[in-house]
Amino acid sequence: MISVKNVYFGYEEEFVLKDINVEIKEGTFTAIIGANGSGKTTLAKHFNGLIMPDKGSVLVDGMETKKDSMNARKKVGFVFQNFEDQLVYSVVEEDVGFGLENLGYGYDKLKCVVDEALEKMRISHLAKQNVNSLSQGQKQLVALAGILAMKPKYIVFDEPTTNLDEKNKKNILNIMKELNKKDKVTIVLITNVLGEMKYADNVVVLKKGAVIFNGKKSRLNKKIIKEAGLGD
Amino acid sequence: MIKKLYFGQYRHKETILHYLDPRIKLIYVMVLSILVFLSKDTYSVTIFSLFIVLCILLAKIDIKTILKGLRSFYFIFIFLILMYIIFSPGQLRQGFIAIWRFLMFILISLTLTFTTPIAGLVAALERLSKPLKIFGIKPRNIATMVSIAIRFIPVMFINFERVRESMLSRLADFKKMKNIKLVVVLMLHRMLKSASNLSDAMYSRIYDENVESSKPLEFKKYDYVSMVFVIILILIIY
Repeated sequence: MISVKNVYFGYEEEFVLKDINVEIKEGTFTAIIGANGSGKTTLAKHFNGLIMPDKGSVLVDGMETKKDSMNARKKVGFVFQNFEDQLVYSVVEEDVGFGLENLGYGYDKLKCVVDEALEKMRISHLAKQNVNSLSQGQKQLVALAGILAMKPKYIVFDEPTTNLDEKNKKNILNIMKELNKKDKVTIVLITNVLGEMKYADNVVVLKKGAVIFNGKKSRLNKKIIKEAGLGD
Repeated sequence: MIKKLYFGQYRHKETILHYLDPRIKLIYVMVLSILVFLSKDTYSVTIFSLFIVLCILLAKIDIKTILKGLRSFYFIFIFLILMYIIFSPGQLRQGFIAIWRFLMFILISLTLTFTTPIAGLVAALERLSKPLKIFGIKPRNIATMVSIAIRFIPVMFINFERVRESMLSRLADFKKMKNIKLVVVLMLHRMLKSASNLSDAMYSRIYDENVESSKPLEFKKYDYVSMVFVIILILIIY
């Protein structure tokens, strides 16, 4: 479980996150929604220790990210909004293996896991391609394969559909659903598009760095959505 | 524009040069760069040029792509020749030699990056820079820096093109210094943002400077054959 307890975080003197308390239970699909600038990405980056709270704590399976950010990152994969910047190497299969290299995998095992991840994303045919020659949708799948290869327990998707066309949007949402339902991976989806939370069990709504709703999706109503600045 | 961006980027092909050990290729780049400097007479320049053309043909690099990619350098070549014509017309031959050397450097580097995937370069750089550990320098950091630089060259050009187009669409005049300064500032801003995103992504995938690349490198028969070729080249030229 990822537990965010009384978290405050700010740039300079202004707090971007104020007294956040959120729990992401194992096996769930949680959508974190909010208007632009509500602090969604900042909160998400706390989950794998990319950002440390100024006050409060974030625990991943009981481990505090401040004390052991490396282990938090092993458990929590992060798919970034700008996947162009997420690709480190220029050849697809090499980039997918980057995280595994850091985990100390030997070449044969690494190759095997990379092939498996590419197969899962149905992009095995792109293995030898240069990442710069891929379409946005393909780059997104390569970035995701790189995370999946590390076999994280939780995956955070930070506005994954922003730069994608309708077909690729649908594809990435289906992959998230499949990962959650079939592979029991805990999914955290950061979005400001209401239609994208259709597969979510739980919803956290942020407004100006504070949680204004945290619960089952069925309990979410138009009033809260409007208050968050997302509805008409 | 987009096609130009992939000039010099790795392309997977089944050729002898692609199969060569990346370490030996890096060493060749160093040796050939020294040879370029030592080549002064017509004989050595011709032999060296033929050798490079042979490498390009063996690597199956499209000649048209090279010629198109080199377009950006034509201005520098013309500028160099003009300088020689104006300031030292008696030494025009040296001017052509200088341009030839410049061209050879580009073609040598191009052949390396076209035939070697970044992970291979990283592994080779890591292995070759191991002695630097004595000075507390981590080989993986050097290798990663180089690989990121190569990976992000096209991204930088794309960013430049986007900035330029967005300014042109709002009628920016690039003859004005103010607009050129603006492009530089915007580019720096975008590049710093990209660098920040990349560092986050690398931390997410638990980048560890102490870990060594797992890519196995071993010399094979092609490497030994290539060594013979390079030694013959050195002997022919000198």
